[in-house]
Amino acid sequence: MPTLTRGSFARGGTSLDFRTGDWRVARPIHSHRIAPCYGACPAGEDPQAYLALVAQEDLQKAWETLVGANPLPAITGRVCHHPCESACNRGQFDESIAIHGVERFLGDTAIERGWQYRVGRPGAGAPEVAVVGAGPAGLAAAYHLLRGGYSVSLFEAQPEAGGLLRSALPPYRLPREVLNAELERLLAIGIRFIPNQRLGRDFSLEELRTTFRAAFLAPGNGAGRPWSVDGVTPRDQRTGLALLKEWISIGSIPSYSSVAIVGGGNTAIDLARVLKFLGVRQVHVITFQALPGPGIAAEDAMSATPREITQALEEGVIIHDHRGVRRIILRGEQVVGIEMVHMKEIVHQDGQRKAVAFEGTEVVLHVDQVVPAIGQQVDPSGMAELLDGHPFFGPDSSGRLPNHPGIFVGGDARGDRGTVSAAVGDGRRAAQAIDAYLKGSELRSSMTEPIGYKQLNVNYFDHAPRAQAPTLAPGNRDAEAEIEIGFTPSQVSAESHRCFSCGECMACDNCWTLCPDNAVLKTREAASDGSHYVFDYDHCKGCGLCAHECPVGFIAMTEEP
Amino acid sequence: MAKDNESTVRLTELQRNQPVFRGLDAGHLACPGCGQALGARLVTEAIGPDVIIANATGCLEVFTSAWPRSSWRVPWMHSLFENAPAIASGMEAALKAQGRPTKVVAMGGDGGTFDIGLQALSGMLERNHNVLYVCFDNEGYMNTGVQRSSSTPHAAMTTTSPPGTERMGKRHLKKDLLSIIAAHHIPYAATATVAYPSDLRKKVRRGLEIEGAAFIMVHSPCPLGWGHDGALSIEVARLAVQTGIFPIVELERGTVVAMMQLRNILPVTKYLGLQGRFSHLFTDAPQAQEELEHLQALADHNIETYGLRGAAPGDRDSESADTVRRGGLRWS
Repeated sequence: MPTLTRGSFARGGTSLDFRTGDWRVARPIHSHRIAPCYGACPAGEDPQAYLALVAQEDLQKAWETLVGANPLPAITGRVCHHPCESACNRGQFDESIAIHGVERFLGDTAIERGWQYRVGRPGAGAPEVAVVGAGPAGLAAAYHLLRGGYSVSLFEAQPEAGGLLRSALPPYRLPREVLNAELERLLAIGIRFIPNQRLGRDFSLEELRTTFRAAFLAPGNGAGRPWSVDGVTPRDQRTGLALLKEWISIGSIPSYSSVAIVGGGNTAIDLARVLKFLGVRQVHVITFQALPGPGIAAEDAMSATPREITQALEEGVIIHDHRGVRRIILRGEQVVGIEMVHMKEIVHQDGQRKAVAFEGTEVVLHVDQVVPAIGQQVDPSGMAELLDGHPFFGPDSSGRLPNHPGIFVGGDARGDRGTVSAAVGDGRRAAQAIDAYLKGSELRSSMTEPIGYKQLNVNYFDHAPRAQAPTLAPGNRDAEAEIEIGFTPSQVSAESHRCFSCGECMACDNCWTLCPDNAVLKTREAASDGSHYVFDYDHCKGCGLCAHECPVGFIAMTEEP
Repeated sequence: MAKDNESTVRLTELQRNQPVFRGLDAGHLACPGCGQALGARLVTEAIGPDVIIANATGCLEVFTSAWPRSSWRVPWMHSLFENAPAIASGMEAALKAQGRPTKVVAMGGDGGTFDIGLQALSGMLERNHNVLYVCFDNEGYMNTGVQRSSSTPHAAMTTTSPPGTERMGKRHLKKDLLSIIAAHHIPYAATATVAYPSDLRKKVRRGLEIEGAAFIMVHSPCPLGWGHDGALSIEVARLAVQTGIFPIVELERGTVVAMMQLRNILPVTKYLGLQGRFSHLFTDAPQAQEELEHLQALADHNIETYGLRGAAPGDRDSESADTVRRGGLRWS
């Protein structure tokens, strides 16, 4: 300010000379928080990030962001149970974003347009890493290791890659052309794929240890879990998974007139639907868990994907929930029925959840076969020293096996997983752990607490219905044609605009519009923190209005330094 | 303070290159979170640079013109408390005589509008000068130390309407100024609020387009006088609308032609509870309970009188009138 002498008149000037920022006791800062969908994704995807790119109509960049975590979106978009949608903050406002439909659309569009992963070939002398098992976990690990600059050899016992995706997922859920397209693109980026090689039969752990710097094992669960009722097992008993695999690979399945499938997972539901499609009159699914629905706790609900359960019911599959098999009724060695009883998992005195049968609730069901679909366990051949007598490996969350440096485990063989997306996540985490192991560096987790619904300001959003994917009418379904039809581009765009963008600036202009002090300035180019706004701390008085009114919770007030 | 020279240069450049015209510079001396400063900012942005403003005495005039600096980036004249409408009338007549299209806007607080300048305002409206009058209604004489005005709502505490054994805050009701304005049958009158800036902007533009006198009353929370955190100014203003306390309406020739309907009508306690000036009502005293019921009845009366109930999906109602979108398409 110019110095003024007494009696002079002032030269007018702008109030910008007044540094009202000096009044401030707290300052607003941009603070990125992770969205709950990201926090919940077993595969490590950040849906908020790719929905933002979809909203900006940059589909290819959205896909590239997506495959930064999960190389198989056309597959997971179809088969994942999408916990991201259960966690979605918008679910507390009206309906969650249909993330799975957007994921699938991006995956399908990438196949259609031939988009390629941005992965370089490993350089000469790149460290050699082995991956055993080309299911979702092994494929994801191989992909992420390659991205990390490693030379990857991928061993598979079967002639083709895919694991359970190929052997156990019926085509009406996952069309083979989609599976093949995703896997072909993935296997073409420089992974050394070695089919027909089974650990324990064609090569040994010792050979892996001597040839490779590290190994990731994702062998899956090759052995059926033993099942009997008081020691009784019916003649010709096969596990649900074995039946399903046989039908998918060679198209044959025993003919029943009535069958009971025991289990509440995806295998039970898939097999039930296949049998129904093939003309079995009565297909019963018996599970001690509950049909999923409002008010049903996650640990009590059937583990099968809810929309698959809904479709199975539409097709006439009979589900007996909260039931168990008390007795198998045999005539000679032939099953003629089962005795069913009300059952529920409850917490016992020792704190463990155990299934309890309730006396006096027995009923008889006439069936000519009973099929257990209660899960699988690791086939120990070739890996007995790692299993140490247990049905599963017990690695830490990054896949590291205690006492076995250099060996990492993931996927269903962990024993605590059971979904495709979790397997993909295992592969990704193991790749990070292997990288840290080989570089001798510390493994860091970057996950932070996701932003909650209460931290958003939803006054700035209006209600909008969730896009509904069309499905084939129950009467038009068969075991081959895909049942759920994908979203249209306009549906995908609408979903992306429904996204609340939790914890990440969406350039809505609210802070810039509402600052009483004009202390938020808009920039044409993104500011260093990725937003389009900078705070003018010379004039910001620290009132906190911008933080309170930020719809997405991107502004935090911090103590003045 | 600026960290280094470079960032100062960059900020100065940015201040001068914002994508919309800004009529009010930063560095004004309003309290943190001032609703009136925000209102004046939004109104001047909507008006644009081709304007002359007559500003009655009050907070707005004081905090924007600390000698020898000014926050105004448009021609601006400070009048006495009571005569901003008269000055605006004269400016309009002069511009008309010169054949210049420059717009004339008068601004005042509720003290200058409801009380002290009402006579001059009435004259300006009666002569139908082509002037937009904007009243920033913060419901009291905040500039001089929070005294009651005729706009202060019933039961609110001010320094001249303290709650005690005889009275629970202001004894009288908020003056129904809008009806007085309506009785002048001017071409356009409206209420608006800082909580719905798109709506406010639309109304300012409409008021300027119209040939003849236009009047807009902007509900502007005062963190100091109302006793709420500066961060909550918009929250408070929004709740005033959503509870029916401050109806958002448009009038043409004295007749209500549009209103912002309420999708979810909230109880007035949601609005009152955020403000220190109503804190004496949140006790178990029967008198306090009665006043809460009284204020609820006043809100119900507004809802009934202006037909605020019954928004249908797709209406620009209290939930959807000012939504945001990715990429800042707020104004489109």
